[in-house]
Amino acid sequence: MKKRGKGIAATFYGTGYGNGFPDVSKAVAEVDHDGNVNIYVCATEVGQGAKTIIIQMVAEILGLGMNDIHLISEDTSQTLDTGTAAASRQTYNTGNAVKKAVEVLKSKLLEKAKEHLKLPSLLGLEVKDKVIYLKTFPKKRVCFKDLIEEKISVEETFTAQTVQMDEETGQGAPYWPYTFSCYGVEVEVDTETGIIEVIKGVCAQDVGRAINPELIEGQIDGGFSMGLGYGIMEKLNCKDGEIKNNKFSKYLIPTALDMPELEKIIVEDPESSAPFGAKGIGEPVILPAAPAILNAIYDAIGVRFYEIPVTPDKVLSEINREI
Amino acid sequence: MKPLNIVGSRVIRVDGKAKVKGEAIYPQDIYLDGMLYGKTIRSTKVHAMIEVDTKKAETVEGVVKILTYKDVTGENHHGVVFKDHEVFCSKKVRRIGDPIAFVIANSERVAKKAAEMIEIKYKELPAVFNPIDAMKEDSIKIHGDSNIIYHYKCRKGNVNEGFEKSHVIVEREYKTSMVEHAFLQPEAGVSYIDEEGKICVCASTQYPHFDQIEVAEALGLKLENVKIMNPAVGGAFGGREDITLQIHLALATMVTKKPVKVVYTREESFHAHSKRHPIIMKYKTGADKNGKLLSMEVNLIGDTGSYASWAINVMRKAGIHATGPYEIPNVKIDSYAVYTNNPFCGAMRGFGATQTPIGSEQQMDIIANELGIDPIQIRLINGFKVGSETSNGQVLSESVPLKRCIEEVKNRMFKE
Repeated sequence: MKKRGKGIAATFYGTGYGNGFPDVSKAVAEVDHDGNVNIYVCATEVGQGAKTIIIQMVAEILGLGMNDIHLISEDTSQTLDTGTAAASRQTYNTGNAVKKAVEVLKSKLLEKAKEHLKLPSLLGLEVKDKVIYLKTFPKKRVCFKDLIEEKISVEETFTAQTVQMDEETGQGAPYWPYTFSCYGVEVEVDTETGIIEVIKGVCAQDVGRAINPELIEGQIDGGFSMGLGYGIMEKLNCKDGEIKNNKFSKYLIPTALDMPELEKIIVEDPESSAPFGAKGIGEPVILPAAPAILNAIYDAIGVRFYEIPVTPDKVLSEINREI
Repeated sequence: MKPLNIVGSRVIRVDGKAKVKGEAIYPQDIYLDGMLYGKTIRSTKVHAMIEVDTKKAETVEGVVKILTYKDVTGENHHGVVFKDHEVFCSKKVRRIGDPIAFVIANSERVAKKAAEMIEIKYKELPAVFNPIDAMKEDSIKIHGDSNIIYHYKCRKGNVNEGFEKSHVIVEREYKTSMVEHAFLQPEAGVSYIDEEGKICVCASTQYPHFDQIEVAEALGLKLENVKIMNPAVGGAFGGREDITLQIHLALATMVTKKPVKVVYTREESFHAHSKRHPIIMKYKTGADKNGKLLSMEVNLIGDTGSYASWAINVMRKAGIHATGPYEIPNVKIDSYAVYTNNPFCGAMRGFGATQTPIGSEQQMDIIANELGIDPIQIRLINGFKVGSETSNGQVLSESVPLKRCIEEVKNRMFKE
């Protein structure tokens, strides 16, 4: 017999190294004498979209297209330290460092343009497509190339806030910001085979502000599938220190066929200390998937599982015990 | 705030086209002239003293050099917090998969053949696999004097008073499992000396600047003489935070003065990098008859296996997130990180905060069930909002849209 059930889980996640440890990102932004915009950071692109997000922020501030920006990254000899691609920190930390550097760069460009155009004030000066012009009289204009003789380079550092906790009481402010999630899932449990199929998921994810909704939805897909594997599939079968399932023919991870239809809801509530209000979501997106599935299994068959993964053999032995 | 043009839009990812077309260069796609190949020899025992004899393997035609701990020119160690890993095990192995030697040969085939001819004499030692046993004073020790490397304590309010006032108390024990990152691209890398004489390593890593420090320290070089570059990275999820092949490659190039390449098989990848900490979680939660949480006591024991990696930080994060996103006036949390002879555990997506909801979110449903309250309602009653205080006494001053998230799910899935 196939039995269906629904479950929910809510979670939170604190970004960054935490507990008072300095969490620092450094970025360099420059415009060279040919008018090229170069950004130097060392934010590893692990697939999360770090490079895209950083370029989007720069493009927004300088009024440029995505292709106008040259990103130099992931080379220790050319870039400063922007910290690890972990702790869901690159959008928040490196994003902040890049934003600071590019904003200072922009103000330097505007100052130069003011002099070049012989204007008494910065008011009304706009930057778009490597041209600085006066909004109310657009003929007053100068392009980056004509403005810059020697390259202008700006280095900025962002350090996140964190308070070390008291060792005896744990009182302190270890992380910032926190990101929130809530997932609901529906499962179908086959009581004859013990196989659990996740047939639907609704994922509501706080993001602060979405820099790129497409990338967020991709992260939710990936996080959900990883959580699904964690909850009901993945088993290393480690016996006396030896991993028995050390290949994908034995260690089962979800495929596209195991993934349900997911409804993804991006919840925006901008965080004032974050670049454009954006919080990190790389890790938050995995957290509620497995517990929501466990709660749905209980709703379906009335059995609570206290140990993961809930593989078909465990489901069957629990069902048989109930009988 | 001005309306935004590019921020907030569905721009196509900048690295996407090259990856879709198969043009992105991953480390195993790199071939350099005169390149040598490396093969790592790893421990097959969980806990043993070792003696290594490479003589026979060295006679295989095509073998250039076999590296062991004796060839490490700097510090024979690495590690993200404690330097408890050896580049190559000198006397003792602590897990299956510990690196012992590294064959450098003119082909992958020769490297593999020679690797099989290296003779390792193991004198096996007693081992411990259960973290609860490992915590006992008379347990055999993996490193140093104690297997307990971290104890996080959170004390807020008075849990006993909270339980006394509770209408319902739910006490359960949960166990999470050790799992694998299963990134698509197994570890691979290439090293060479550039025109400035720098030792260069191209490998997939999450943190090039930290690898630079670890490589320089192990080779005994100045930081500026080491260069780390990331080609395309085929997934990471925390599994590329600890050193795997970076130091072996750098050392091989320094010794041979030639480019060297290593590509791990999937099976080797399973043994080479960290895993997710399995945690034994004891939860005791008390609530009043309206479902308001009053008290919570949690005990977490995380098995970090044979090396610390990020254990302290992971079990700290687990402890901080153990309550779930709920206001609870009385909280007592103890979270431990423990060495055993299991595979080592480290960073993995969620970093301790993935494990605890397996317990805390089931506790919520069990309490709701006992009180006859809707599972959504109990989360809305207790959920964090602006101004809430966490178990650490941290005030959530802004951007706390938890209840909106819960309501979005409720409206789409739980509306009758």
